[in-house]
Amino acid sequence: MSHSKKAAIFNKDEAKVNWHDKALWYVREKRDNAAHGVKGWEYLRDTASKIKGNVLSNLDNYLIEFEANAIKNNIKVHWASNAEEHNKIVHKILEEHNAKNVVKSKSMLTEECHLNPFLEAKGIEVVDTDLGEYIVQIAEETPSHIVLPAIHKTKEEVDELFQEHLGTNPSNGNPEYLTNEARKHLLNKFIEADGAITGVNFAIAETGGIVVCTNEGNADMGAHLAPVHIACMGIEKIIPKEADLGVFLRLLARSATGQPITTYSSHFNKPAEGTEIHIVIVDNGRTEQLSREDFRSSLHCIRCGACMNTCPIYRRSGGHSYDATIPGPIGSILSPGKDLKKHSSLPFASTLCGSCSNVCPVKINIHEQLYKWRQIIVKEESQPVVKKSILKITGKVLGNRTLYNLVGKSARFMLKYAPRFMVYSKLNTWGKARELPEVKNENFDTWYKINRKNNG
Amino acid sequence: MGRDAILKAIQKNKPSLIPLPEINLDAFEEPIDLLETFKEKVALVGGRIIALDAIKNIDSEIQKLYPNASKIISCIKESNLGTISISEKTNPHELEAVDLAIINGEFGVAENGAVWISEDNFPIRVLPFISNDLVIILNKEKLCSNLHEAYKLISERNRTFGLFISGPSKTADIEQCLVIGAQGAMSLTIILV
Repeated sequence: MSHSKKAAIFNKDEAKVNWHDKALWYVREKRDNAAHGVKGWEYLRDTASKIKGNVLSNLDNYLIEFEANAIKNNIKVHWASNAEEHNKIVHKILEEHNAKNVVKSKSMLTEECHLNPFLEAKGIEVVDTDLGEYIVQIAEETPSHIVLPAIHKTKEEVDELFQEHLGTNPSNGNPEYLTNEARKHLLNKFIEADGAITGVNFAIAETGGIVVCTNEGNADMGAHLAPVHIACMGIEKIIPKEADLGVFLRLLARSATGQPITTYSSHFNKPAEGTEIHIVIVDNGRTEQLSREDFRSSLHCIRCGACMNTCPIYRRSGGHSYDATIPGPIGSILSPGKDLKKHSSLPFASTLCGSCSNVCPVKINIHEQLYKWRQIIVKEESQPVVKKSILKITGKVLGNRTLYNLVGKSARFMLKYAPRFMVYSKLNTWGKARELPEVKNENFDTWYKINRKNNG
Repeated sequence: MGRDAILKAIQKNKPSLIPLPEINLDAFEEPIDLLETFKEKVALVGGRIIALDAIKNIDSEIQKLYPNASKIISCIKESNLGTISISEKTNPHELEAVDLAIINGEFGVAENGAVWISEDNFPIRVLPFISNDLVIILNKEKLCSNLHEAYKLISERNRTFGLFISGPSKTADIEQCLVIGAQGAMSLTIILV
């Protein structure tokens, strides 16, 4: 189903859409406040973008350096070309430790690889321990936002889910009560766990260490209680030096939620006595994206979600309308590289306003890449007849002055005098859920000529 | 198998070398009062900050703040409040019901209210997360302005496990309502001495 069709479903509940829109815009405003408080913010973004540019141009050597340093520190390193290999590697490690109860902290990569169903089919319980991810897991859904996974759920919906799954009392959606009940439940899961899986925010070539950022503390609770910690990362998570974290950690949380830093930024360099750390380095289409010059810089992404919070389309269509692991503007330039046919409607889910590129902490030219995907998609994928013919006609009209003037005149006439049912018909998508502006008698051209005469 | 294929694909598809940028740290310098900024940011991230005149007053201060704490682990020699002793050999699962942990912090970062703590400050890694409440003792002279400075300060450390901790554990995953106390410690008090 195309993005627009799924967005139409999300838009059926107008009050919820309005809430979603405002809640995300509020996060965008918090990001602005935080960014404006940092001297040299734009230089910081610029530096981050350049470091990522260097990383992609030297990625093979950095990965080799990272691996060698990690191994020196008793960390075990694995490589997976695709999702299937990744899942098998994780399963094998768990099997070797006879692990049956696994706690997992947020990792978009394991979502992308569909790790949970793979492990569950092998009889391993996987509990997502980030509160938002826990909510979508028990709701049998997927995250609708990469930083705020359950942003599409109301507190009343969470209340009902917890009553059903945790046996909580009805609370009218009291966030403190519900969070505390989840805390108690998840503490038991952490204590019982015999394996922990986390994502990786940054992997440092120079030291062979990894950094994992959370606000809840769930990654650390899992990793330090279980005998084995498996950290899964895409190849693009590498940064050259530890000092580069100074740049990236200053940008990440401010861009994501407007916090100056996440509560916990944990630096794992060596396993604790008697425990193991495994790192799985995953390609799964990333080297292919690296080959596409126009889209390569999408691999700079540090998964802050700022482009989603600011996007007028995302805010009003919800993350699930993108039907992709990573939704929103960044997802719309990553997903077509993985499956052009399935995701061909995503680059059109944008007004090309450029707000995403303006807030991106690593300066990915997201809106330009969306435009470039469109050029490829209209050539390679068949487009809806209505869109095709309207664009053809538009092209003709805009290319012909007389025709353009004539069409303008008749449109103004129609808007003024045609009956409502004709103007607000199915053909006029601009008339959906909005009143068209009042029509003036002349177009800009005539107005300008008259006024120029009058004002000399 | 995966390794060679991935490295080969990168070699084939990567652009020609783009140099690493020189970072001009002067661009981030601003005249700030380190102590005042740090205090302000700790409050912003949901932490509590208390300045003491003398370290010998620590215990009475902590008792005032956490009167009901009974299972206490102290990792600092200046406090006598500890009721449970732990070592590197302690099974982390035994810390499930700890009420309060008291540890030393190495230095604070003014721009974000974070404190660097590492395995040198607590023998069991899970302690600052699993303890219901956490107290960090910090020398008020040990503050730096931003993360660039912070990474210089930890560049020579023995790298095992360490973290920047900024405030208590928190979440806003239910309708964007901020709730303090998610999976990690429910409160964080920084005592400046």
